Amino acid sequence: MSRWWLLVLLWAGLQAHAGVPADPFGSPMWEYNLERYLGADVQVRHDARIDLQVPAFAEDSAQVPLTLDLANFPHRPQRIIAWVDLNPVPHLFTYEPGVTPLRLIALNFRVQQATTVRAAVQDDEGIWHVASAHVDAAGGGCTAPSLTAANPDWERSFGTIRGRAFSRGDHLRYKTSVMHPMDSGMVDNIPAFFIEQVELRDGGEDELLLRLMLSESAAENPMFVFELPHPLAAPRLWMRDNHGNVFERRLEGETG
Amino acid sequence: MMRHFLSRLMAPILVGLACATAQAGTDYALEAMEIEPGVWVVEGSTENFSRENGGNIVNTAFLETGAGVVVIDTGPSRRYGEALKRLIEGTTHEPITHVLLTHHHPDHVFGNQAFDPDTLYMLDTAKELLRRDGEAFADNMYRLVGDWMRGTEIIMPEKTLHPGEWEVGNRRLHLLEFTGHTGSDLVVFDEESKVLFAADLVFHDRALTTPQSPGLTTWIEDLELLEALPFRWLVPGHGAPSMGNMALQQTRDYLAWLDEALTRAASEGWSMTEVTAMDIPSRFDALEGSRYELTRTVTHLYPAYEKAALMLLE
Repeated sequence: MSRWWLLVLLWAGLQAHAGVPADPFGSPMWEYNLERYLGADVQVRHDARIDLQVPAFAEDSAQVPLTLDLANFPHRPQRIIAWVDLNPVPHLFTYEPGVTPLRLIALNFRVQQATTVRAAVQDDEGIWHVASAHVDAAGGGCTAPSLTAANPDWERSFGTIRGRAFSRGDHLRYKTSVMHPMDSGMVDNIPAFFIEQVELRDGGEDELLLRLMLSESAAENPMFVFELPHPLAAPRLWMRDNHGNVFERRLEGETG
Repeated sequence: MMRHFLSRLMAPILVGLACATAQAGTDYALEAMEIEPGVWVVEGSTENFSRENGGNIVNTAFLETGAGVVVIDTGPSRRYGEALKRLIEGTTHEPITHVLLTHHHPDHVFGNQAFDPDTLYMLDTAKELLRRDGEAFADNMYRLVGDWMRGTEIIMPEKTLHPGEWEVGNRRLHLLEFTGHTGSDLVVFDEESKVLFAADLVFHDRALTTPQSPGLTTWIEDLELLEALPFRWLVPGHGAPSMGNMALQQTRDYLAWLDEALTRAASEGWSMTEVTAMDIPSRFDALEGSRYELTRTVTHLYPAYEKAALMLLE
């Protein structure tokens, strides 16, 4: 009798993890964060066609570059969720598509300790394709005082936005930097203060090109890189932080 | 009987432990090379910090002056400093009267504890930098080098060094302050031996450590001033001492390439990830650690290049 029960339990256990392959990095947060960010009962697979790049080590734990390149991914991404497994708030960004597919995104994140980093890309059948990478780190990036805090003049540069578009064949690459402390809320009683939402809209029809939701793991003074097919007119960048500040600019200046 | 049995059992275990400790390595086995009469260099490896090398990746030096020994830098740990002091005492009979600290990086000043605090000299700005960064450097060194760091604490130098010419015993030393590597970098030139102690403004067959450079072009300008000095020997901060200006040229060539490559990458809209992975010209193959140092350089310096290449949007 007890043997039968064991079999039933084993079967149930297998069922619960049917859609989740093992983690090649063996992170203790693998299944927990998958369920937290993608939900239960989801189909998940590792996919080498998604190129997730982070450095092998974080030279600066408060500014670690991440690039997600989907040039070899055959599906049109319906949603992308990226997270940093061992950060206090692991979520880094959620991407929602607009009228054109995203080919590449890059931004810097913080690491609190050496950790795995994940990017889950959902295809049009609802299957999540996951890319993983590992970054070694001295850590402390989420709780390090910001450069903004050390600068008494920070309000003068607050909200300064720089940008430029660069041609990449049949795509355009937009690089945009914004001066914002992106306070994680984990330093010296300074409450969380960061850009939560970023949108890019076509300059002509005002159609959404992409939407990005950010969390505490995003780095200070962010530099966003997006690669999209050429839009009809110079797109508009719109950002809002969790204190209600709205920043809006037209992205002009396409060059070689 | 039981005790006898135990002691026989314990002996091999103790011997085993002793061997394990020796293998783990806590002896720097420093050697001094006399490149000119009374001028010794203690050469470290060109590796990165590791638990194998104990942080001995740096060059330190000492000179007899007839009125006492002048030491240049104290190494990465208390143990290194103690080993250096023993080496000096076994090499010369003159007492150590001055210890000049070239800049605030941990591999150059973390051996300070071994020396009389009254003999430690450092430039004013470098002291400020050590006060600011010392603890963070120490955390990092304990993480990278481990047990070799045991007991190492930051000792602030008592004396302030002022740039200029300095007569000490039978030598005249030129003390020059530059900024290219950290914001405050001491260079020592000995007129008598024509040895230039360039510290970390010059590396030899080792990729440059740039995170705290105020700017690569500033560093290049420093090297142009250094090159005008009538030196025969150049002792770099990292890598082998050499005759002539070969190491200086190599350092300048690498800096000029870096500055140009980062400028071009930014003007073409490269991301940080792409720049970190960019090709390093084959003429720099001899530079140890170039990929590792490029990652560090890009992290710290590329954002300024990127910003300069973007337009202000209003």
